[in-house]
Amino acid sequence: MPSKYAIHTLAVPHRFKSVSRSGIIAWEEGCLKCAVCVKKRCVYGVYDNRDLDPMQMIDSIDNQCMNCLRCIQGCPKELIHKSLNPEYKALGDSYWAPDIIAKLWYQAETGKIPVSGAGYPGPFSGPGFDSMWTDMSEIVRPTRDGIHGREYISTAIDLGRTTRHISFDEEKGLESGSARILDIPLPIILRTPTFGAISKDTINGWTRAAKGLGTLMALPQKMISSTPEGSAPWVIPMISPEESGAPAITEETRVAEVPWNEEVSGLVGEMEDRYPSLLMSVRLPMDHRAEERALVLAEDGVSIIHMEAAWNGVSMGGDGGFLKDGIRSVHLRLVEAGIRDEITLLSSGGIAMAEHVPKAIICGADGVFVDFPILIALECRMCRRCTKGLSCPVEIQGASPSWVASRVRNLVGAWHNQLLEVMGAMGIRDARRLRGEVGRAIFFEELDRATFGSMGQVEEGCELE
Amino acid sequence: MYREQQITLGLFYCQNVPESREENRQALEEEFGKSLRLFPIPCSGRLEPVHLLKALERFADAAFIITCPVGACRYFEGNHRAKKRVERTRKILSDIGMEPERVGIAIGSKEAPKTLAQQAREIFREISLLGPSPVFGQE
Repeated sequence: MPSKYAIHTLAVPHRFKSVSRSGIIAWEEGCLKCAVCVKKRCVYGVYDNRDLDPMQMIDSIDNQCMNCLRCIQGCPKELIHKSLNPEYKALGDSYWAPDIIAKLWYQAETGKIPVSGAGYPGPFSGPGFDSMWTDMSEIVRPTRDGIHGREYISTAIDLGRTTRHISFDEEKGLESGSARILDIPLPIILRTPTFGAISKDTINGWTRAAKGLGTLMALPQKMISSTPEGSAPWVIPMISPEESGAPAITEETRVAEVPWNEEVSGLVGEMEDRYPSLLMSVRLPMDHRAEERALVLAEDGVSIIHMEAAWNGVSMGGDGGFLKDGIRSVHLRLVEAGIRDEITLLSSGGIAMAEHVPKAIICGADGVFVDFPILIALECRMCRRCTKGLSCPVEIQGASPSWVASRVRNLVGAWHNQLLEVMGAMGIRDARRLRGEVGRAIFFEELDRATFGSMGQVEEGCELE
Repeated sequence: MYREQQITLGLFYCQNVPESREENRQALEEEFGKSLRLFPIPCSGRLEPVHLLKALERFADAAFIITCPVGACRYFEGNHRAKKRVERTRKILSDIGMEPERVGIAIGSKEAPKTLAQQAREIFREISLLGPSPVFGQE
C-alpha cells in the first residue's frame, strides 16, 4: 500500500479584514455605566481590543464577533442592536452566495472543515447540486479511528485512457498498445478562473500549490510564462488555436488541453504521437449536443473529455440544464456505448463547495476542475470590479506567491478532508469506485416523481364521480 | 468631471438610501474613480465620530454621511443620532483648527427622495470649494 496521502495545512491569516456577516447597527445613548456591562463579559473579548481599519472602515467588534448575541440580550438597558451587514449581503451573486464565499474564506484561512453548530438551518433542497443528497448510512459505524485513521480511504483518480482489451502478437509481445495513465492523488484539478485581479505572482502561487498537492493547474497559454521554473509537469497548457507564440507543450508536459471543434480528434492524435507521455484533454462545452460529441470523441480515442459548464454550473447552450444533469447524461451515454472505462471525464463550472466534488463524481465525472474557489481563497469577494477596470478591494494582484500557495493548499486540504468524510459516511474507500455510483445518492427530481408523479392522474377504466 | 479637483470624499451611507445597492455603488466608483470612497453601513446610527475622523486622518479631504429622512429611520433614531455625532465631530474639528465643513450630513427628504448618486454629486459640489485637506501637507 502506498503511503497515505495527507495535506498538511497551517493557518494563514487574511491580508485584509474580511466582511463580517453581521454588524452593530446602533449604539443607543443612555448607558448607565452599570457594573454588569456586557462588553466586559464578552466570552470572545471582542470589546477589549477594539480597533477600526480606517481604509475599509471595518470595526474589530463586527469582525471578531461570533454572533452569539449575548451582548444584545444581556445589556440591562438593551442598548446594543445588530443586523446583517449590507456589505455581506452584497457579496457575490445568486450562485456564489455570501455564505459560500465566507465558508471558502474560512477554509482557506484555517485549512479546517467549516462546522456550523446547532444543526443545518438551510433549505431542504434547492436547484443544482442542492437537489441531490449523498448517502450517509455508514456514518453510524465510521472507520475505527476517523478519516485519518488506520483504514485507508483513497481519493486518487486516473487520468487517461485504457484499452478495451489487450492482444498479443505471435512473439507474445503486446500488440494492443499499453494504457496511457496518469494518477493524481485527489479528484481536484485547479484551473484559472475567467476573471480576477490575477498577476504573475498569483499564477506562480497557484502553480506552486498544484505542485505541492500533487495535482495539476490548467492555465491559458499566455500565462504559462509566469509559472516557476520546473513546474511544467504540473501545468495543463490550455492551447487555443487563435493564439500563436511560444509552443506551450514541452517534453515534461503531462496533460494539455484543446477546445472542441469538428477536427479536434486528428489534432489530439497528432500531439499524442509526437509526445509519447502526453495526455490530451478536449474541452467540450456542456450543451444539448455534448452527448453526441463526447461519444464521437471517445470512439476516436481521445484520452480526456473536459465538460465545461458556465461559471454558475449551467449549460453553455442556454437551455438551463445544470452541470450534474449534463455529466449524468454524457456518462450514461458512454456507459451505454460500452466505452466509459476507456476514457476520463472531467467537469468544470460551478464547483463551489467541497460537497460538489463527490456529487459531481457520483453523477459520473472522474474528477473536477476547481476555478473560482481558488480565487475566493485569496479573499476575492466576487464583486467583479476587476472586469470593469476598477481596483480590486483586496488587491489580489499584490499577494505573494507563497501566501497564495498556502491559502489554496488550506482550501484544498479542507475539501480533501470533507471528501474523506463523505466517502467514509457512504462506506466507499476509493474515489474511483464512487464514479457513477448513483445508488449512493438520492435525486430530488426522481424522488418527487416517484412519490407524487402519479397524483392527479386517473387510472384507465376508472370514472370519477 | 470632478476628478481633476483631486478632492477625496469618504462617503458613508445608510443601506436604506434609495438606489444604494452594490451595482449603484460600482457605477459611482467607475464615475468618480479614486476621489470617492463609499462605505455602506446598516444604519446611520452606526456612525461614530471616530469613523469620520479616521477617514479625514487617513485618506479623505471630506467625510460625509447620507441618512434617511427625519422620522423615517427604520431603527427610529439612527439619523437623529448621526446628526448629533456629526455636530460633535464638527466641534472637534474646529477645536483643532480645521474647517468643520469637512464633515457633514445629508439628510434625505420624504417629499423629494434623492438617490445615492444624486446625493454624492451634491456633496461634491458642496465641498469643491474646500481644497485639499491640510492633514496631508502641501504636495
